[in-house]
Amino acid sequence: MNLDLEGLKPIYIQIAEWLENEILNERFQEDEKVFSQYKLAELFNINPATAAKGLNMLSEDQILYTKRGLGKFVAEHAKQRILEKRKTETLSQLVHELVLEAAQLQVSKNELIQMIEREHEELKGEGQ
Amino acid sequence: MNVIECNDLIKLQGRKKALNGMTFAIKAHTITGLIGRNGAGKTNLLRLLAGYWRPDSGSLKVFGREPFESLEVSAHSILIDDEMQFPATMNLSEILAEGARFYENWDGQLANGLMSYFEISGKQHHLELSKGKRSTFNTILGLAARCPLTLFDEPATGMDANVRSDFYRALLKEYLAFPRTIIVSSHHMEEMEHLFEDVLLVDQGKAKLHIGLEDLKEYAVSAEGDKQILDQFTENAEVLFEKKEALGSVKQVIRNTLSAETLSAMKTAGIKLSAVSPADACMYVTNRHKGGIDDVFENRAAESGR
Repeated sequence: MNLDLEGLKPIYIQIAEWLENEILNERFQEDEKVFSQYKLAELFNINPATAAKGLNMLSEDQILYTKRGLGKFVAEHAKQRILEKRKTETLSQLVHELVLEAAQLQVSKNELIQMIEREHEELKGEGQ
Repeated sequence: MNVIECNDLIKLQGRKKALNGMTFAIKAHTITGLIGRNGAGKTNLLRLLAGYWRPDSGSLKVFGREPFESLEVSAHSILIDDEMQFPATMNLSEILAEGARFYENWDGQLANGLMSYFEISGKQHHLELSKGKRSTFNTILGLAARCPLTLFDEPATGMDANVRSDFYRALLKEYLAFPRTIIVSSHHMEEMEHLFEDVLLVDQGKAKLHIGLEDLKEYAVSAEGDKQILDQFTENAEVLFEKKEALGSVKQVIRNTLSAETLSAMKTAGIKLSAVSPADACMYVTNRHKGGIDDVFENRAAESGR
């Protein structure tokens, strides 16, 4: 697993997102201990303070909880929380940018909706 | 707890103030990148911290003591740079053995492991080594000493890319296993910034910025577009750098103090925004000339009436 060290996205957010994906994939189950900041630092070759920042972000979002002296664990309903969060934050941001880009390219609303529908159809086709 | 406290520190080199009122503090168990242009005062600072030199004025405390001529500080710190000299009669094994005698946390296993990994024979002498191998040996010494305060001044000088990347990894693993306070000065910031918790940017003998790496990533933003449109948005922002691009457009690097709404409005107005890497942010902050090297040529053109 490589991190995008050059990119726009702060590393601690990439760490948080990686953990979220592992929770979504059920590599970490509810009430299971996740990697410590030191383990993450070693794994991703980053400063442990950066890794801690990612872990703390997930605690604040109630995706992880802390057991004193034992580390951080996956909270109950963490999966639903992550999906909810991605919908409200990531997806709406992507839609915002999509609409903005379409406006700059003078793509009409209908044209844009058609493009989305076509993409949907293709995805459904692949799924079968 | 602060391992280093430095207040209004001044160090003269001839008539020039190499350090000119430097003030900062460093927490225990952090890795700090010491960044700055040539002649900014990095080496002077590290030598004062290690107790090699005495400050001319101001106060400097390392582990709560003045480091100059302090045996305590000397025993608990190590400064690795490419001017390290060892007695010519000793071979590398003998130098390492002296390290083991002097430093209480010395890790002989690590020293031997790294020596054989980097294919340096203990029978060789320091002066026989190539520039890159000498730097590698010095850093082995610096890691194996396991000092509570470990200072590296341009440790990667002459190392090839593989060795540099191995060294950064070794530094991180050592730090994770045995946390200590580490300061590394480097011109290879983009290569090792992922290891840093904080960055101390020095400029003209002063601490210009002391900031978390993740905050430094968001310190500045680059904006490119039509000058008149751009100026409306950046009127009240701190412009660190400006360069003319083709067709009446300009590139400005500005302090990222703009609100999310403003940034969004800029995008809508056709301004191209991009992130400024920590290394570039440091470069822009310490640039003497707002237009960079191009200023020299612009001025020359203006003077010759072209």
